[in-house]
Amino acid sequence: MTKILLGLFSGIAFGFVIQRVGATNPDRMARAHLMLESDIPKFMLTAVMLSAIGLYGLQTVGVGRTLILPTSLVATGLAAVIFGIGWGLSGYCPGTAWAALGEGRMDAVFAFLGGLAGTACFAHLHERLVPLLYDPTNLGQITLADGISSKPVAVLLLVGVFTLSVWAIDRFWGYREPAR
Amino acid sequence: MEKNEKSVYWNWLAASFALAGIIVFIFATFGPPASSSGFVSVLKGFLQAVAPDYATAKAHYRMSPGPDSWVFAFVLGMAIGGFVAGRTFKIPVRDIPEIWEKRFGPSRFKRYAATFFGGFLILFASRMAGGCTLGLFISGSTQLAVSGLYFGVLIFAVAMLTARILYGETGKEGRHD
Repeated sequence: MTKILLGLFSGIAFGFVIQRVGATNPDRMARAHLMLESDIPKFMLTAVMLSAIGLYGLQTVGVGRTLILPTSLVATGLAAVIFGIGWGLSGYCPGTAWAALGEGRMDAVFAFLGGLAGTACFAHLHERLVPLLYDPTNLGQITLADGISSKPVAVLLLVGVFTLSVWAIDRFWGYREPAR
Repeated sequence: MEKNEKSVYWNWLAASFALAGIIVFIFATFGPPASSSGFVSVLKGFLQAVAPDYATAKAHYRMSPGPDSWVFAFVLGMAIGGFVAGRTFKIPVRDIPEIWEKRFGPSRFKRYAATFFGGFLILFASRMAGGCTLGLFISGSTQLAVSGLYFGVLIFAVAMLTARILYGETGKEGRHD
């Protein structure tokens, strides 16, 4: 019961914040993808690096649970390409679809229904596709810390690269007067 | 040019701290957050009721939690959070985004067909990779996982390319909301 309440509470807070920053608005998401609006990508990347620092803090005091998903060169890469097409087309990702559905956006209702269909389809083909696409190029649960051996240095590297990306997005995303 | 919108939406940096606080709280009280598995738990619950044999026969449902799980409570919470935030927000929701309407017209059928297909693709792909923007990119990168970073770089690049092909020059004239 506690886990249900914790999940519910976390979800409400998460859904509220992503709506307030505008991530559930597919118009804003589309303009982020078109490099016209920088708030959403800056928000996503900054949240990740702050979370990485926070999680490192948790781990040093021995709190929390982690689970590293494996990297499959083919399956993870191919999935990312398919995902990117769907994200660019709809302006929704699975998480924002839940919140936008609650917000009452009709196009999110259809994204949600399409999502259920996509899930059912993959689940049906799981036994066929996983051995074909996922397993052969599965590199295992690799992390940045494997290559660097020092966890804090790996966290710093991630923070450095993400900070640079946020700076670049801030610099290059936005409206420019149309050249005439 | 951005005044109107900036005053309505939260500042991105403040929101980043808020979201990171929530994510760290989730790692402390549960583990890596995810949202595409919420779709699996909905279907699993449904199939257990209507086709229990199929649900037990398929590996993808066996390995995923059903509706009595943290992840289902989480995605349900996201919908509630979205509902509360939407009801208390200054801008009314639109069923068709402005930029889409400018490019493809006001046809609801066209927009809903596109988001249905888009939704299909993002969930099919998330289940193939094992996670989505949250479950793989955000959760993974927070844990320094190569899978999350690899997935993240590609989804941003491909989504940007897709949007460019889809919208062309639409949207460059200015902001609307």
